Amino acid sequence: MPDDRATTPAPPRTAGRPARSSQAELEFRSLLDAAVDAIIVIDHRGQVEQFSMSAERIFGYAAEEVVGHNVNMLMPEPYRGEHDGYLARYSATREARIIGIGREVRARRKDGAIFPCELAVGQVAGIEPPRFIGFIRDITLRKQADERLRRSESELRLAQELANLGNYVVHPDRSEPDYYSPQLCRILGIGVSDEDEPFMTLLDRWVHPSDREKLEDAFGDFHSTGASCDVEYRVLLQDGSTRYLHHIAQLTRDPHSGTLKHVGTIHDVTDRRQSEDEARQLQERLTHFSRLSTMGEMAAGLAHEINQPLSAIATYAQACQRFLKMPDGDEADVVEALQQINAQALRAGEVIRRLRNFVKNREVKREPVDCNRLLDDLRTLAETDARLHNVRLRIEAESNLPTVYADPIQLQQVVLNLVRNAIDAMAEAPETRREVVLSTRMTPDGEIEVVVADHGTGLAAEATEHLFNPFFTTKSGGTGLGLAISLSIVRAHGGRLWHTPNEGTGARFHFTLPVSPAPKGE
Amino acid sequence: MIKEIRPTVFVVDDDAAVRDSLRMLLKSVGLPVEVFESGQEFLDAERDDRPGCLVLDIRMPGMSGLELQVKLNERHSILPIIFITGHGDVPMAVEAMQAGAVDFIQKPFRDQDLLDRINQALEKDAGSRRMLAERNMIRKRLESLTPREREVLDLVVAGKANKVIAGDLNLSQRTVEIHRARVMEKMEAHSLAHLVRMVLEVERAEE
Repeated sequence: MPDDRATTPAPPRTAGRPARSSQAELEFRSLLDAAVDAIIVIDHRGQVEQFSMSAERIFGYAAEEVVGHNVNMLMPEPYRGEHDGYLARYSATREARIIGIGREVRARRKDGAIFPCELAVGQVAGIEPPRFIGFIRDITLRKQADERLRRSESELRLAQELANLGNYVVHPDRSEPDYYSPQLCRILGIGVSDEDEPFMTLLDRWVHPSDREKLEDAFGDFHSTGASCDVEYRVLLQDGSTRYLHHIAQLTRDPHSGTLKHVGTIHDVTDRRQSEDEARQLQERLTHFSRLSTMGEMAAGLAHEINQPLSAIATYAQACQRFLKMPDGDEADVVEALQQINAQALRAGEVIRRLRNFVKNREVKREPVDCNRLLDDLRTLAETDARLHNVRLRIEAESNLPTVYADPIQLQQVVLNLVRNAIDAMAEAPETRREVVLSTRMTPDGEIEVVVADHGTGLAAEATEHLFNPFFTTKSGGTGLGLAISLSIVRAHGGRLWHTPNEGTGARFHFTLPVSPAPKGE
Repeated sequence: MIKEIRPTVFVVDDDAAVRDSLRMLLKSVGLPVEVFESGQEFLDAERDDRPGCLVLDIRMPGMSGLELQVKLNERHSILPIIFITGHGDVPMAVEAMQAGAVDFIQKPFRDQDLLDRINQALEKDAGSRRMLAERNMIRKRLESLTPREREVLDLVVAGKANKVIAGDLNLSQRTVEIHRARVMEKMEAHSLAHLVRMVLEVERAEE
C-alpha cells in the first residue's frame, strides 16, 4: 500500500453538524480520522452520518458535501440504483448479505472516476433503527500491480514456451516449497505438484547413462562451493523420449529470509542438438564409408600382405618336414623354422587386426595420440600399397613429440589417404625416385606437423583449385572423397591441411594438429 | 675347359620371412643358396654370371622384379629366372615370361612345385652353359686357323669339292687337300658333317 495515505491526523471534523462534546464522540472521531481506510457511517436509510478524513482523500469529497446525503452518491451503477433496496431488504429480513463479510466492489470518486475497492460493512450494535459502518480500502494500486504481475507472468510463460526454457527454484533445506515453471514441467513431462521428489533426484534418475558422469562432475561440488554451474546433458524421459538439456544453476541466499535457494534454468536444446547430431553422424558414416572404400581399393595389396606370412609359414613347414626326414638333420634348423612359423602366424594376425581396427564402424573417440606411434601402427597398411606399387616408404620422425588430442583411426585415415595419393602420383616415376617420405615435427607455433612427400607428377594448377572438393578426382577408380574427408577430419581436430611443391618434383601434403592440453591436475 | 662351379640358387625377396623360409627350404634339400633383399644388392654382388638360377619376387619396393630382369637382360645374363608372384599378378607374370623368364610360381606354393621348377631351371642353365662353352671352344678353334685355312673352310662348308676350291683360290688341288686336313685337325672335327655343324652353330649364334 502506498504510504501517502498515512497522512498526519488532522483535528476532528464537525462537518456541519452540531458539535457533541462527549468524550466518546471525540475519541471516535480521532479513531475515524486516524484510520487508513475510508470510514463511512450511514443510517438505515443510507444517509451518511460520518465521513472520515481518509474518505475525503479517497473519494475527493469534503465531508460536508457527503454527510446528510445518500451514500449511493459514492457508488457507480448498478450499486447506486440498488443500494436503497439492499437496505430495505435488510431492515425487513435481517438477512446479512454483506455485513460481516468483506467484498471487492467498485466505487465512484467525486470526479466520476470508478475505482476498485475492498468494502467491509459492520452494523453498529444495539441501536435501532440500525446504523452501518463501512470500511473502504482503495485497491487501485494493488489491482494495477496484480495486473502487471499477471501480465509479466503470462509474458514470461509465453517466452519460456517460445524458447522452450523452464526455470525453477528449489530450497535445499526444504524450508519452502519448490517452484517449477510450467514450461519446465512440460519439458520434463512432470506435474507441477511433483514436489515430493526432489528435483535433482529426478534428473539424476533420468540422465542418459553416457552423460551421468558429466552431470555429476558439474554438480559435484555445487552445494559445497556455491559456484554456478553450466552443463549440457541428455535425459531419458518417462515417455521414452531423449531430450538434450542445457542446464544453468546457481546457489543464492534470499536477501530477506536468508534461506539458501538453488535457482536455475533448463533449456531444451534437443532440436538443435539433433540436427547437429544428424550432421555429425552423416559425416561419420561418410568417413567410415571412405575407409571401407579405401580398403576395397587396397584389397589386392592386403591380400598380398597376408599372403606373405602365409607363404613363409608354408615354406618353413615344408623345410621342417625335410629336416626331420634327414637322417643327420640338425635339430636347431627345426627349432628355428618352428619359431619362425609362430612369428609369421602372429604377423598375419596383426595385419588382420590392424585392418579390422581401421574399418570397424566405431564411435569417434578422441584421446591423446603419439603421432610417431600412429605412423608406426599405420606402417603395415601403408606399406601394403607401397609394395604393390614398388614404392619405398620412409618415416622420418622427430623424437619426443608431445601428444595430440585426436581420434587415432581418423588420423590414420588421413595419413593413409595422403600416402596412397602419393603412391598413385608416382605410378610413372622412375624406380630411383619412387619413395614416399612421412615425417613428423613440432612447428615453431607449437603444433605437430605431419608431412607426406612424394616425387610424383606434382599438382597441375587446375587440379589444385578443386583438390579438396568432394567427388573431384584425377584417378580413374577414385571416389574423390579422400581429400575432402581428410580436410574435414583435420579441421574437426582444430588443424590445417595444405600442400606445397616438393623440391625437384612432386608434392608435399602437410597437416598440423594442436598439441593436447596438459592433463588435469598437472 | 671352364672350371666347374656348383650351381647356386639366388633368392631376391624384400620380405625377410619369405626370403629366410626359402633359404631354409633350399638348405633342407642340400642346394647352395644365397639370399638378397633387393635387386640392387643382387646386381652389386655380380652373381649373374654364375651357374644357378634366380628366384625373384615380382613385387618389391624400389626396383621391382621386372626391373631387375630388364637390367640383367642388358647385362646379357643367361641366369634363368623363376618369378614368385602373388594373387592377381598374372599380367606381370606374362610380361616376365615375354622378357625371357623360365617360369613363375604363385605363393604360397608347394615346396615340390618350386623345387621342380628350380631343378628345371638349373638344367636349363647347365645346358645353356654347356652350349656357350662349346661355342666358345669352336670360336677359339676357328681363331686358330690361318686366313688361307679359313677361306678353304668356308668353301668346304659351302659344299664345294676340292677341285672347285682349287680353281676358286687358284691353288693346286694338292695344296687344298693339305689345308683341308689342317682345318679338320685344328677344328677337331670327326667328319665333314661334324665340321659343318660346328661352323653353323657359331654362325647362328652370331646372327
